[in-house]
Parts: sequence; structure tokens; C-alpha cells
Amino acid sequence: MKHLADELTAFLDGALAPDERARVEAHLGACAACRAERERLEKAVALLGRLPEAPAPSPTFEARFQARLAAQRALPRRPRLLDLLAWRHLAPGLAGAALAASVLVYAGARHRADERSMAEHLDLLESYEAVASVGVVERADDVQVVAHLDELGEGRP
Amino acid sequence: MASDPDAALMLAFQGGDASAFRVLFERYGRPMVAFCHHFVRDGARAEELAQEVFLKLYASSARYQPTARFKTFLYRIASNHCLNELRRGEYASRRAADPDADADGAPLDPDALAGGGASPEESALGAALSREVQALLARLPEKQRAAFVLARLEGLPYEEVAEVLQTSVSAVKSLVHRATVSAAAALAPYLAEREVTP
Repeated sequence: MKHLADELTAFLDGALAPDERARVEAHLGACAACRAERERLEKAVALLGRLPEAPAPSPTFEARFQARLAAQRALPRRPRLLDLLAWRHLAPGLAGAALAASVLVYAGARHRADERSMAEHLDLLESYEAVASVGVVERADDVQVVAHLDELGEGRP
Repeated sequence: MASDPDAALMLAFQGGDASAFRVLFERYGRPMVAFCHHFVRDGARAEELAQEVFLKLYASSARYQPTARFKTFLYRIASNHCLNELRRGEYASRRAADPDADADGAPLDPDALAGGGASPEESALGAALSREVQALLARLPEKQRAAFVLARLEGLPYEEVAEVLQTSVSAVKSLVHRATVSAAAALAPYLAEREVTP
């Protein structure tokens, strides 16, 4: 007989549908090991209910929040990365990056290995150049977006 | 969520009613500090984190859609923020240097403890339980920790925990079960001598 696992805690928490609950009750009626486990978990849950409350916030909590909020509101709004990725913002950068990449490819014609590598990653190079030109690649999340720039169809002419 | 008065407040704030945001802060400020405290075990840092949750709420208010309960939305911001805080590791190393900083020291507001008039035995049990649970939370994997805090300590139903953590209810069942089994093991010295409270 397979013992109860996840459903035992859900049973104690009243989180089972009626049919699941009936199945657990039937199993508990026939399995001493699961009854013992149920009793152990039930005691633990009851004990957790006796934890003291967390400390209340200090008297200055709200005033300090209002000060931080005022400071946040005083900052100029920083555009979100996806806003900046709109085609109209990217077009000049992409054009420049494509030109720069072309020059690089031409200059590297004497180094065939480098050329091959650059050609393989030309799209990514263009994307990085373009985004870096508007100064928004700061976080790992942003880099992920950049890595998938070619999947952004919206806003392209 | 027309029946959710907090969602209505958030929509009012979207519409320019600044007092609606203040009401939400007054309603959820303290619960947010308590929630963040479960993650960082430091009163001052918990307050900072709770404030940052509300700063994020303020900043993202324009994107709020009342498709879920406001409380779920808020706890999602708070869970992500607290888990990010833990991931940064900076805090963990600070705690490692001073592991008992807030574990059994004086609370910020002594009146806030449950049962201000509790017996010495009850107070001692509460303090011991706090230490055990804090140590347990520090050991749990982050998803288990978040599910345990939300379901077991904050009392959210599994469905809401699933919404907050953006996972399935069956995943929540598993996370809460594993964390509860760990809690039972951690609290074993206290379980042997106690009967289940009905």
C-alpha cells in the first residue's frame, strides 16, 4: 500500500476536494503508519499556531516610507527596456551598428576565422550595439531580452 | 474582482485618488513587515523591505489589472522581492556574521507580541519556537520557504499561494507538505510532550 504524502498535509489544511478527502480518510482507517504521521504533522501545525506575532513596525515606519516615496517621485522616470526597444528608438542605433558591423567584417577579411565567427553572431552583435547605444543594458534580465531581440515583431515597420 | 474592496482602492489610486493608496498602506503595512520578517529575521530590514514592496506597488500601479485579488497581487510583489533579497546573498552573509541579531532580542514594539500577558512558560515557549522556526526557514529551499510562509504562517489558501508563486496547486501541496515535514522534524523536541490542541 502506498503511503500518503502531499495529500496528508493538504488534508490537515482542509485543502482537498471531497472525493480526495474521502480517499485519504479511507487510507488512514487502514494504515497505522499514516495515522502516526498524521498525528505528528497535526501536532507540529498546532505548535506553529502558538508562534508569537512578528514585531510591529516602529513608530517611524510610515514617515520613513513617505520620505522614500517622495524621493522616488522626485526622480525622473527611467524608461523601461521594452519601451526603449520600440523600433523607432532602435532604428538609428541598429543602422549604425549594422554599418559598424559591416566595416568590422570587411576589415577582418584577412582573418578568416574571426570573420566566420563574427558572421555567425552578426545579428547578436547588432542587437547589443544598438541597445548599448541607448544605455539600458544593466541587468541580467535586460541581457536576456537583448538575446531575444529578433523575436520582437511588434513595432517593426 | 468587483467584490474586492482593496482592488477598488487600487483602481481609485490609478484614477488619481492618492488617499486610496494611503488606505492600502495603512491596511497592509504591518502585515507586510511581518511577512518580510519571516524571510530576513531582522526587524529593521523587514521594515525596509516592506517599504520597498509599497514603492514597487506605487511604481507599478499603472499596470495593475484587477484580474486577481489585490492581496494576491501584493503578496506576489512581496514574495519576489524577499526572494530576490535572499538571492542577492549580501544579506545572508551579514546574518552569518551575526546570527542572533534579532532572534531573541527585544522586539521593536514589545506590545506587539501575542498575549502580552502570557505566562512566563508560554513566553519562553514562544521564544523557543521562534528560534526553531527561524532556523528552519533559513534551511528551506526558497520555494518551500515562500510556500510555507504564505500557507502556514500567513494562512493563505493553497489556491492563493499558487497564484502568488505563479505555480500549480499540486506544486503548492508538495511544497507545503515537504516544509511541514521539515517543521515537524525541527519541532520534534516540543512535540513529544504536547497533546494536539483541538
